[in-house]
Amino acid sequence: MSLSPASGIGRFYKKSAKIIRFVRLGCTNRPFYHIVVMERRKNQHQPVIEQVGSYDPMPNENNERLVALNTERIRFWLGKGAHMSEPAAEVLGISGLLPVHPRTYMTAWRNRKTAAEAEASQNVAETA
Amino acid sequence: MYLMQQLRKLNALQHLQPTVRQLSTAGLKTSTLQYEKDPQPQFTDAETQNLLQSMTQLQLDKVFRKRTVADNSTQTQFMTTAQLEKEFLLTIEKAKTLLQMPPIVKIKEDTERIISRDPALKDFASTKYVFTDISFGLAQSQRKVVVRDVDGTLAYASLDITKRMNQLYFPLDGRKFYTPRMFSDEQLFQRCLEAHNYEYILDRLTVQYEPYELEFHNISAKVFEHLNESKQFDLLRSTRHFGPMAFFYAWHRCIDDLLYDMIRRDYLLNAVQLIALSYKLHQVPVDYQQTLQKLDALQPSPADKALEQLRSGLRNPQEKDIQDEIQTAIGKSEADFQADEISLQFIEQYIGSEHALKKVQLELAVQTLKEVNLEKLQLYQGLKKAHGVQTA
Repeated sequence: MSLSPASGIGRFYKKSAKIIRFVRLGCTNRPFYHIVVMERRKNQHQPVIEQVGSYDPMPNENNERLVALNTERIRFWLGKGAHMSEPAAEVLGISGLLPVHPRTYMTAWRNRKTAAEAEASQNVAETA
Repeated sequence: MYLMQQLRKLNALQHLQPTVRQLSTAGLKTSTLQYEKDPQPQFTDAETQNLLQSMTQLQLDKVFRKRTVADNSTQTQFMTTAQLEKEFLLTIEKAKTLLQMPPIVKIKEDTERIISRDPALKDFASTKYVFTDISFGLAQSQRKVVVRDVDGTLAYASLDITKRMNQLYFPLDGRKFYTPRMFSDEQLFQRCLEAHNYEYILDRLTVQYEPYELEFHNISAKVFEHLNESKQFDLLRSTRHFGPMAFFYAWHRCIDDLLYDMIRRDYLLNAVQLIALSYKLHQVPVDYQQTLQKLDALQPSPADKALEQLRSGLRNPQEKDIQDEIQTAIGKSEADFQADEISLQFIEQYIGSEHALKKVQLELAVQTLKEVNLEKLQLYQGLKKAHGVQTA
């Protein structure tokens, strides 16, 4: 059996653009992501240079979302000038490894706004 | 539409409930006896360790008995005497590693350590995020686990989350992700105790929990308490749990049952060591060191005794002289009789003091032992005289 793409068999040029990004694994209706370093121009399912973590977006039985990060290697690749995809940058921001991504603040603000609006409309419905 | 959504949510919840495993050990009640201050400095002290190791004894048959493990195979090999001697030494070393005691340390407190608060991040997601550092080559204790809560607070994870994540990403052999039912269900735990599966419980406990966890202290205390009532101390002798057990009794001033058992089985040296340990822990002004030194000079250490036992298999039966034969027939040498006398004196002093609780029982045991010893001594001297052995 050939090696899985996650084991880091991807070939790359020395000066090509690298990116830290998610690879969607799992199956239909059950996403699971590997956080990997690969050449920017490649498709996500092509062999990667290195896997540096994993992300499970579905809450577990204790209502937590689990992220594993190989911080040592992530810092190495960032130091080498690797890019980051937006979702990966958001997760790294939430983890405290990097500054929080602006989009996370946007999402938080929007969530708060919709919650407040829903509450207001419910109050109106109750008083009426 | 809204109603349907609510219904679906309810259904999903009902579907979820039976699959949720109990992760905390709320099932077991807490034990009565606990270490009120940090026992670690006393336990790791070299003198205490020596006493505990000596009390544990080293019975090779018990250390290398067949276990319920995957590989119980043995290997047969031809060897010269010199090779065999070397192998004996290795065997003793191996037995010593197998008998290493799990440490007794104080319970680690779970403190909240916040890294940053960010109110602007409130409600950024519906659940919290747990981040685990999976960098290569870190020890489990060094691994950082952080949690970003829904209100935007970033903090180090609590001890149980850290343990869970460590077990998830770097599983330890034999440790379960959930609490074994034996430890969460009071009835099952009692059944294990009543079947006297003490060693099994303690072995599993050391695998499942770290020594600084509350559950480790609770469960081991319960096992030791039960053991003190059932008095099956011999089940733990020559296992890695005997030392912590003796330490537990000495700390909580309930050594009398164990002492009685030791006297009855004629392990007088161990009895003296147990009393010495309790004197040491409670700083009783009795000079036990002198007695111990005298006894050490008279009797070999458990490791030496085991080595001697291994070597005795090598000796030619014709080489054995009559003195050895008398000794093996009676089971004691002249030095042993001397040591017994010193130990009995020390033990009687303890029974006479206010520290002993079950005086009558202990006195009776000592009396019986004295009579048996006297008979043996007379027999020993008679045999020696009959065979015309010169006393050196």
